[in-house]
Amino acid sequence: MGEDSARKQREFEREALAHLDTLYNVALRLTGSAPDAEDLVQDTVTKAYGAWDKYERGTNCRAWLVTILRNTFINQYRRKSKRPTPVEFETVQDVSVFEALQDRDPSGTFFRFIVDDEVKRAIQELPEEFRIPVVLSDVEGLSYAEIAEALELPVGTVKSRLFRGRRRLQQRLYEYALEMGYIG
Amino acid sequence: MAFWKTLRRKGGGALPGDIDCEAVTARLYEYIDGELDDPQTVEKIRRHLDLCKLCFPHYDFEKAFLRYISEHGRTSAPPELKRRIFKAILEEESRD
Repeated sequence: MGEDSARKQREFEREALAHLDTLYNVALRLTGSAPDAEDLVQDTVTKAYGAWDKYERGTNCRAWLVTILRNTFINQYRRKSKRPTPVEFETVQDVSVFEALQDRDPSGTFFRFIVDDEVKRAIQELPEEFRIPVVLSDVEGLSYAEIAEALELPVGTVKSRLFRGRRRLQQRLYEYALEMGYIG
Repeated sequence: MAFWKTLRRKGGGALPGDIDCEAVTARLYEYIDGELDDPQTVEKIRRHLDLCKLCFPHYDFEKAFLRYISEHGRTSAPPELKRRIFKAILEEESRD
């Protein structure tokens, strides 16, 4: 192996492969299936490695990788499955769960009873427009600006999708907790 | 009407932090996320939360929710996938 390619490989491992968990998480939430998520991550990494010379050093590598992943998903994977139904942006109310239960459980202790699988299912059930910003922000810890860059959206759009996605996720978990008797 | 709604301050009287509950609620996530650009707004909300018996529990609740999601929503990439990817890159390089 030449010195240049050894350097490229080391740099790629350090800068890009450090984000494999993030890529896998986003891939899993996009495809909804572990085998598809693995394929999508592998395709993304192969593309990113091929385009590594075009990656602008010093810019946000994680956002760059998520953009590649998302575009790969749109071009290759979504075609295989049914397109997601667009969100009825105007008809669904995004109510605050806190207002509904502040007399019974104001500190949200019921969250503690909800198992991981149920949280992941609830995230998966969000419309994609809300799901991916929520995953990037609340699971992966990206800033609004990073999410905007990764999803090629204005920051204001990220903000409002995040707001509504969180409200819906809360609502879903609240309904589940009620069903399970976690809230008296 | 729930008691908190009847208590909600709207105009008139002194507002904690010179900002009303509705404006605080609307910016609560941005405040928690540290995404508010204007330091004055941050300070107003901070003072409001210190004093407001209605908004502070809401703030606490949202923080508990976000902490919960960050701790429970994550799935790590399978070790086998990581191995496969590292191997693929090694092979790609040795072809050059």
